Amino acid sequence: MADGNPPTADGATLSAFRLADSFLPVGAYTASYALEQFVQDDRVTDGTDLEALLETYLRRQVGSAELVALRAAHAAALAGDCETVCAADRRLTAVTLAAEFRDSAERSGDRLLSLQRTLREADLFDRYAERVDSGDAPGNYPVVLGASTALAGIDEREACLLCCHSFVTGLLGAAQRLLSLGHTEAQRVLDSLQPVITDVVDDSADRSLEELSQFTPLVDVLAADHERADRRLFVS
Amino acid sequence: MAADGTDAPHPSFAEYAAEPIPQAAVGAPGKDGVLDLRFGRTDAGTALVHDYTTVPFHVSGTLDHDPHPDGTTVFIQSPTGGVAQGDRHEVNIAVGKDAVAHVSTQSSTKIQSMNRNYASAETTLSVERGGHLDYVPEPTILYADARYAQDLTLELEPDSTAILADVVVPGRLARGERFAFERYRSRVRARGPDGPLFEDTTHLVPEERDPTAPGVLGEFTVYGTAFVVAPDRETAGLSDMLHAAVADREARTGATALPNDAGVVVRALGERAETVQAALRTAWDRARQELLAAAAPSGRKY
Repeated sequence: MADGNPPTADGATLSAFRLADSFLPVGAYTASYALEQFVQDDRVTDGTDLEALLETYLRRQVGSAELVALRAAHAAALAGDCETVCAADRRLTAVTLAAEFRDSAERSGDRLLSLQRTLREADLFDRYAERVDSGDAPGNYPVVLGASTALAGIDEREACLLCCHSFVTGLLGAAQRLLSLGHTEAQRVLDSLQPVITDVVDDSADRSLEELSQFTPLVDVLAADHERADRRLFVS
Repeated sequence: MAADGTDAPHPSFAEYAAEPIPQAAVGAPGKDGVLDLRFGRTDAGTALVHDYTTVPFHVSGTLDHDPHPDGTTVFIQSPTGGVAQGDRHEVNIAVGKDAVAHVSTQSSTKIQSMNRNYASAETTLSVERGGHLDYVPEPTILYADARYAQDLTLELEPDSTAILADVVVPGRLARGERFAFERYRSRVRARGPDGPLFEDTTHLVPEERDPTAPGVLGEFTVYGTAFVVAPDRETAGLSDMLHAAVADREARTGATALPNDAGVVVRALGERAETVQAALRTAWDRARQELLAAAAPSGRKY
């Protein structure tokens, strides 16, 4: 992508497709966000169970925490305000109590940040990467995604939809490896979660960083079991 | 306090705040309970060096059955039947340098049914260098139509530690009342010498969002959390140790490392308050042995 030139409308749309594609090399296939443990516990056995659990993730984690951080990072990146990007990043870490989830979000955030820096030179990326390297900011995926989408000309709402879509497709991919979930069933779940995604994107619009929170106690407990599971396919 | 909603603890409580209360008004005697406790280290161990209470809080001295040689215990008492609409409670507990204090409540905190306004509690805990605080109150029980907001802030100086536990029971379970309350919001925030450590918010509005959704509380009813906060201590192995100690309990329980190397969080979900409390007590006991080389104090309240 050309340095310094503002992205065109088509360029922004194509960047959105690229960032939403499971082809994006950020290691999404290593994360199940405790889904592996839910399957292990027989709590998720088919597409219907999976859809219900994904709704919880969307409402209680992605929407109420990740999207709020993403929006703040997006707005701050447009304003060239690295300090607020870092504040959103630290805030997201402070409310993410499952250690494995922080780990997954930092790993894929790190990969996305270095990928975007090779594609597009931006002063903000350099300053932010410096803060991440020095340990001053954790480099969470939703925050890196917020800054990346802003600099690629993707608007804030679309960036939120993109984040939800990637999260769901990532977990559907994990589910296909953990359950005998057919391609058509996976598409059905993705399609029927559309209203939930729209809803959580709406809800996240008015939340300040102070209001950023997540609430999934049972996910936290199962993630704790997953941390110590003997055999596992996924890092989280 | 203002009754126009401007002092609400959270925007979702603003509408309640504007509702006048027919009986004793917000701010009337007995409605704004204050509890201040300050512990200090003396030659004879830890002493309660300052205490100030207004109704409904009451403190009748310290107990010295803490297994830690320098530790002391205070049980907070309340002569009233529970927390009523319009109540605004404020609790401040300060632990001085090298002091070791354990604070709990005499019995469950019962949040009564409400049809106007709301009730809230603001708790500020601080621990000075080298000190330790255990803040482990009895469960909070949310009666039908209760509206309750609590905000807890913990401030730790260098080399200090704290263990906090909280159990919430969503109704008088024995009479079949569950998730009949209107709104419960509880936030725990901790700050260490280098800034914010972690924040955990529970926000339950059963009528709007199903608390028994998969991944939220699932099939469980009672929910409890213990925080072992020790940012300046080496806690790398503590999370695994606590998890192993609680993983096979009757309550579904797990431990994980807190953000910012702050320590460990233990979450427990169960059918009854007793099983959740038992799991958290095990974690508390183990963690205390790691941090202070002393077991957790017994629950004896005399």
